[in-house]
Amino acid sequence: MLLRWFKQLHWPLIFAMAGLIGIGTVFIHSASHYDTTSYITRQLFWTGVGLAVLLMVPMFGYRTFLSLGPVFYFVVLVMLLWVDIAGAHRLGAQRWIALGPFALQPSEFAKLATVIALANFLGERSPREGQLGTIIIALIIVFIPLAMIVKQPDLGSSLLFMPMIGVLFFLWGIRKRYFIYATAIGGVAAPLLWKFLKPYQKKRILVFLDPNQDPLGAGYTAIQAKIAVGSGGLFGKGYMAGTQSQLQFVPEHHTDFIFCVLGEEWGFFGSLILLVCYAFLFRAMFQIMEATTDIKARLLIAGIAAVTISQLFINIGMTFGIMPITGITLPFVSYGGSSLVASTFAMGLILSVHKERSIF
Amino acid sequence: MRTRLFIGACYLGLMGLASGLFYTQVFQGERYRNISEKNRIRLIPLEAPRGRVFDSKKNILVTNRPSFDVVAAPEDISPQIFPLLSKLLKIPESELRRRVKSKREYRFAPAMVEEDIPKELAFQIEERRAELPGIMIRVSSMRYYPYGETASHIIGYIGKINEGEYQKLDRERYGMNSVIGRAGLEKIYDGELRGWRGGKQVEVNAKGEMVKVLREKYPEPGKDLTITIDLEFQKRIMQIIKGDHASVAVLDLDSQNLMAMASRPAFDPNAFVQPGRAKDRAHLLKDEEAPLMDRGISSAYPPGSVFKLVTAIAGLETGKITPNTRFVCNGSFRLNSGSRPFHCWNHQGHGSLNLYEALERSCNVYFYNVASRLSPEDIARYARELGLGEKMKLDATNISPGLVPDSAWKTKKIKAKWYQGETLTFGIGQGYLLTTPLQILRLVSIIAKNGQHVEPRFVVEENPERVEDRVEIREENIKVIKRGMLHVVESPYGTGQLARVDFTQLAAKTGTAQAPPNKAHSWMTGFFPYNAPKIAFVVFVEHGGSGGITAARIVKDMLKVWRDMYAPQMV
Repeated sequence: MLLRWFKQLHWPLIFAMAGLIGIGTVFIHSASHYDTTSYITRQLFWTGVGLAVLLMVPMFGYRTFLSLGPVFYFVVLVMLLWVDIAGAHRLGAQRWIALGPFALQPSEFAKLATVIALANFLGERSPREGQLGTIIIALIIVFIPLAMIVKQPDLGSSLLFMPMIGVLFFLWGIRKRYFIYATAIGGVAAPLLWKFLKPYQKKRILVFLDPNQDPLGAGYTAIQAKIAVGSGGLFGKGYMAGTQSQLQFVPEHHTDFIFCVLGEEWGFFGSLILLVCYAFLFRAMFQIMEATTDIKARLLIAGIAAVTISQLFINIGMTFGIMPITGITLPFVSYGGSSLVASTFAMGLILSVHKERSIF
Repeated sequence: MRTRLFIGACYLGLMGLASGLFYTQVFQGERYRNISEKNRIRLIPLEAPRGRVFDSKKNILVTNRPSFDVVAAPEDISPQIFPLLSKLLKIPESELRRRVKSKREYRFAPAMVEEDIPKELAFQIEERRAELPGIMIRVSSMRYYPYGETASHIIGYIGKINEGEYQKLDRERYGMNSVIGRAGLEKIYDGELRGWRGGKQVEVNAKGEMVKVLREKYPEPGKDLTITIDLEFQKRIMQIIKGDHASVAVLDLDSQNLMAMASRPAFDPNAFVQPGRAKDRAHLLKDEEAPLMDRGISSAYPPGSVFKLVTAIAGLETGKITPNTRFVCNGSFRLNSGSRPFHCWNHQGHGSLNLYEALERSCNVYFYNVASRLSPEDIARYARELGLGEKMKLDATNISPGLVPDSAWKTKKIKAKWYQGETLTFGIGQGYLLTTPLQILRLVSIIAKNGQHVEPRFVVEENPERVEDRVEIREENIKVIKRGMLHVVESPYGTGQLARVDFTQLAAKTGTAQAPPNKAHSWMTGFFPYNAPKIAFVVFVEHGGSGGITAARIVKDMLKVWRDMYAPQMV
C-alpha cells in the first residue's frame, strides 16, 4: 500500500522542488543570519506545511479542486477585498492580511485560484464552438482579481496574469486571429495604462529604462542588485561573504532579491545550479502534462508553468537589468509562507495529475 | 503542436536567463567586483600631528594643543537643530546650513561647523547632544606658538591649503583641511614637520555605518626640529627693541649658529591658526608697518658708514692706500675744481687722518679720497667677496639679495652711464647699494674670523657641508680693519663709544645711512672679544637716526644681557 503510494509520486519533480527549497533555505540563512527575526525557523515551518499540502492534495485528487475552482476563486476574491479594506501596509502597498503572527499574501493564492478557475472553465468549452463568448467570460474571470491586485498595488503579481491568460488561451485552441487581435489591443492599451500607474511605479519603469537617471533614488536598487549579481563572477565571493547583500546595499534580500545573494555568493556557477533545478522542475511538469489526456489537467499544468516561468524570468531578470524592479518572489526559493504554500499546492495538483494519468 | 511551442518557449526563456547571467557575471564580473569593493570600503584619513620646534636649550617654541571642533554628520542632521546651534555658537543659521553642506573629503566625512571653540562651550554642546542629533565635538590637534611674536619671523606661520594645492599635492600627506607652512621654518621644513597621514580602511554598510576596521595605518607624526636660537636671549632682545622698527642678530662665531635673530614689529603666528582671528590676519597682511617682514633678511637698506670697512679693504687690497696713508679732511671733498662738493658728516673737518683714525671717526672725506682712486668694479668686487649682493643660504623665506651696483649694472638697469661721483657715494655705503642686516652680520663675521667664510644658520643639519675656505683678502689687511674697529669703540674719538662695556673688548663699526626724506637708518655691527672673537652681531634700526646713538645703545643693552646669560660660563 505504502509502496504503491510511493511509486505513484513523480520523484523527479519532487527532487527538483526539494533542491530549490534547499537552495532557498541556505540563502535565506545567509541573507538573514544577523536579523533578530529568525526567518529560517519560520521558513522551515512553512516548508513543513508545504510538504503536508504537497502530499495531501493528491489524496483528494486534482479533479476535486478543479470542480471546487469557483469556490476557491470566490474565497480569493473575498481575501483580496479584505486586503483592500483591512490589509496591512508594508513598503507602501497593501498586500497582506494579518493572521495572528503570520501575514497572508492573497495575491500569491489569487494566481493559483485564477489558473484553476480558468482551466476548469476553458476545459469545459470546446474551442470549436463560438469562441468569442468563452473568451469574454474567461477575460472577466481574469480581470476581477487582476484589477484588485493592481489596486493594491502589486504591479509584479498583476504582470503575471498576462502570460498566464495568453498561454491558456493559446493551448486551449484560440483562433490565431483572436490571438493577434489581443496582442494588438494590448500593444495599443499599454500607453493608456501608463496613466493608471502610481508615481513610484512610473518611476520604476523609467528607471528600468535608464537606471543612472536617479542612481541614489529609484535607480538605487536596480544598480545595487546588478552590482551584487555581477560582482559574484564565476564562482562567487563565498557563502555568507557577499558584501553587497550582507552590508544591505541590496534591500529585501531574503525575499524578492534572494537571487542577488545567490548570484553574489556563488557566482555564475551557483546561478546555473539554480537554473538547472528549475529546468528539471519544468521537465517534470511537461512530462506529466504530455502524459495526460485530460484537457483540464493540461491547461492547469500549462497555467502553473506559465506563471512559474514568468516569475522566474521577472525575478532573476530584474537583478541584472532586463526587467523592471517589481516585488515578485522567486518560487520555492524566496522567503515567505504564502508563496511557498501556494507553490507546493500547485505542485501537489501536478502530482495528482501524474497519479491519475492511468485512469484513461 | 501548440504545446511543443510553449514548452520550447519555456526552455528558451531559461537559456536566455542563463546567457544573460553569463554576460553579467562572467564577462562583466571584474567590473562589478570593483564597484562592489568601492561600495563597501571607505578610507578615513587621520591627520598626523605636526613636529615641534625646540630652541637650543630644548625649550618648546612651537607645539600643538587640543582644539575642540564642532562637526556634523549631515546624514543624521535634522533641520530643527539649527536654531539651538545658532544660539550656542552665535553663528547665523544660514551660515551654519552652508557649512554643513560644504564639500567634504570623502563620503560620510563629518563636515566642519566651527573650529576651536572654548572648552566650556564644547562641554555645553556635549551635554545637549540629545537635542542636537548629528552634531558632535571632535578634538583635533592645533598648532600653538606659546611665545607669540618672540621668534615669529624665524618660525613663520601656517595656513589651510586651498583647493588648487589639494588637487596637486600627495594625498598621503595633505588632506582637504590640512594646514601647510606659508612662511619661515613652517614653510621650508613643511616636508619634515608634516608627518604622514594615517588612515582607517573601514567596511561600511549601505547606511554608511562602520561595520569593521579592515586595516589601520597609524599616522606618523612629523619630525621635531631644533634650532640654534636661544629663546631666553631672543626674548630679552625683543624686549630691548620693543616699539622700534629694528633688527638684531647675534652669531656664535665658532659654530656659526645664530643665537638670536629678532625683528620688530613682529606678529603672533597663532593668529594664522585660530579660526576666530580672521580680523587679526587681515590686519597683519595689510599693516603698513609690515609686521610679517623680517627686517633682518627680507628687506635691504643702504648700509651707510658700515660699508667703509669694505672700501678700506678694497683700497688696501688694490694697493691704493696703506694703513698709514693720510688724507686731509676739511669738511668736504671735490673731484675737481668744477664739481660739486661732497660733504663730511663733520662739517668742521677732521684734519689729517690715517686709515685707523678715519675708521674710528668714520670720516667721509677720507673714504671719498680712497673711493676716487678706485673703480666701482673694485669696490663691488670686494663687496661681493664679503657676501653682499647675493642671497644668503639661510633657512628662511623671502630672503632679499640686496644690491651691489657697478657700471655694467647701471648701464643695463638704469640705461645710464656711471658717474665718478657715484663711486664716492658708493664708497661711503650710500647710493644704489643695498644690504640686509644679516649680510652685514656675515661680513663682520668674516672680518672677525680673519677672512674665513661664514654662513650663519639657525637650523643645524645632520651632515653639515662645511666649506673651510676663506675670502680672497689678505689676513694682514683684515687685521688692519679689525684694529680700526677696536678704535671705533675704545678710542675717545670713536663713533661707537656709547656701546663700550667694561667686561670685554668690543670692536665695531657704526653706520648712519641717509634715507631722505625720513630720518637716517641707524646701524652698528661688530664682534667681541677683540683678541679672540667669539660673538658677532648686527643692530639695525629703520629710520633710527645716528648709528652711534640709537644702535649703539641697543648694542650696549644687548651686551649686558649677553653678559648676564653667558659670561659666567665663559670664565
